[in-house]
Amino acid sequence: MIRKQPFIWNSVLLFLALVFSVALGAVYIQPGTVVSILLDQLPLLDIPTTWPDSFAAIILKVRLPHAILIAITGAALAGSGAAYQGLFRNPLADPYIIGVASGAGLGAVTVMAINWPKDLLGYYWIPVGAFAGSLITIAAVYSLARVGRMVPLTTLILSGVAIGTFTSALTSFLMLNSNDQIYRALSFLLGGSSLSGWQPVLAAIPYMILGVVLLIFSGHFLNVLQFGEEQAKQLGLSVERAKAFVIVTASLTTAVAVSFSGVIGFIGLIVPHLVRMIWGADYRRLIPISILGGSSALLLADILARVLLAPQTLPVGIVTALAGAPFFLWILRRAKTEVFW
Amino acid sequence: MFEISSLTVSYGPNVVLRDVSIQVAAGEILALIGPNGAGKSTLIRAVSGVIKIESGEMSFNGQDLSELSPGERARILGVVPQARPLGGAFTVEQTVLLGRTAHMNWLGRARPEDQEAARWAMEKTGVEHLAQCRNAELSGGEQQRVLLARALAQQTPILLLDEPTNHLDLQHQINFLALVRDLALQGDLTVLMALHDLNQVSTYADRVALLVAGELVALGSPAEVLTEDYLHTAYQTQVKIISDLDGHPPVILPRIV
Repeated sequence: MIRKQPFIWNSVLLFLALVFSVALGAVYIQPGTVVSILLDQLPLLDIPTTWPDSFAAIILKVRLPHAILIAITGAALAGSGAAYQGLFRNPLADPYIIGVASGAGLGAVTVMAINWPKDLLGYYWIPVGAFAGSLITIAAVYSLARVGRMVPLTTLILSGVAIGTFTSALTSFLMLNSNDQIYRALSFLLGGSSLSGWQPVLAAIPYMILGVVLLIFSGHFLNVLQFGEEQAKQLGLSVERAKAFVIVTASLTTAVAVSFSGVIGFIGLIVPHLVRMIWGADYRRLIPISILGGSSALLLADILARVLLAPQTLPVGIVTALAGAPFFLWILRRAKTEVFW
Repeated sequence: MFEISSLTVSYGPNVVLRDVSIQVAAGEILALIGPNGAGKSTLIRAVSGVIKIESGEMSFNGQDLSELSPGERARILGVVPQARPLGGAFTVEQTVLLGRTAHMNWLGRARPEDQEAARWAMEKTGVEHLAQCRNAELSGGEQQRVLLARALAQQTPILLLDEPTNHLDLQHQINFLALVRDLALQGDLTVLMALHDLNQVSTYADRVALLVAGELVALGSPAEVLTEDYLHTAYQTQVKIISDLDGHPPVILPRIV
């Protein structure tokens, strides 16, 4: 049943994750109340108010924008992770592991160091810097990792780690030189999602819509590319153009995620992998399902981050790394025998 | 008419094909033979547009192939490559449908005529019962037939095959080649096929092109090209050719040293 209706099941999961994410916090609000407050915002519905005004304020001003930003981030990371995996024909490609997220982080922090966002326009600039950072990084990693026509697992991970470490070092350097913003930028980069309120959400949405549309268009290209570049060309694909399209798209979506939530690892690895195991390798489905599933997965990780050491909140990137690193090793072991492509 | 004229291909300083000219008519099977490294695969890859040619022309019914985009070319040329991988996680049906890439839009949506072409191709090659199997679960011979099905689904007037019988057992070799011959005859398909097995060439090819070190040494009917002299020159091996077999095509036997 779950196998046949991936979109319905993942939408239900996303809805539940959103409601619980909004319900949990210093003040617990019943999920039923959460749903009522959200429905009450719709223009045509008139729901009798049975909750204190402060609840509505907490939800609408603080928790809902946070949850939506987390959902967008998860969607962007999982979608771009799926695209990178298809592009490199490599099950371990993930925006974090191949260093692209760190490059985007450097780009984002550069923009923030120059001009900390004070208004919506300021927020719009962050993804531009992050996008430039991710494109430069992917170009460097790709040219380093390439051996002939292939991008082998080992060289991909090694060059990803090297470039990622290098850009992280540059980022630290930059942060140490802009002292008043060290704390904010640091917690941002740890995936602490220090940006809050509706402005980052509003800034992320147009980029995200563009990213999702382009990712969905990448699905067919990625399917054909799974047969190798030579066969893809013989089947009628303009290979270089298709690859450039996928790289730009995946880098854009990575940039959106990193711009507003910092560097969060492993979501782009775990989610497409689970989706592939359950719903198969057809990228025309794999990508949209990963986008939906990535939202839910990061929302769940974020709930854990807030619950595990409550009232303290962990950076969500720590939770995804705690779950993701063992998963990474598990895939690495299986990659020797299992057929992914 | 499919025409290759004065084709020259180099890898760096090494000339791997020199001034090769071949014509193949509709309904005809032309077999490319020659020792390892003679340039058979290079010729097929050059024609299919995946490696650069240095000079020469390739055309189909007067249309210059080198001017075409990959999509346009894939509507004229179907390729059964020698190389893997075969996208192990895809099902056979998904694989064969990707033969329709050149006919699909950006989203890769299969229209009814694409489904129909894929179904026809799977039926022709006898893989329709495997439609929902993943490629990784197939034997080498089944994978080879899936590759043929994918090329047939392209519904092109020209079919290029690079040593298609390499992974097949005797039964499947014969069935595969008989299928290709029938397709050529009934569908007016133009077939250019690299083959190692000279007895298969003798049985199934209408004409034979012998390549040695990148040069076309002989081009003609099997009787004209499969001679003891030519084969000895090409393969540095003494062979004996036995004809007069009551209608069976001549058999080529290597002499035991």
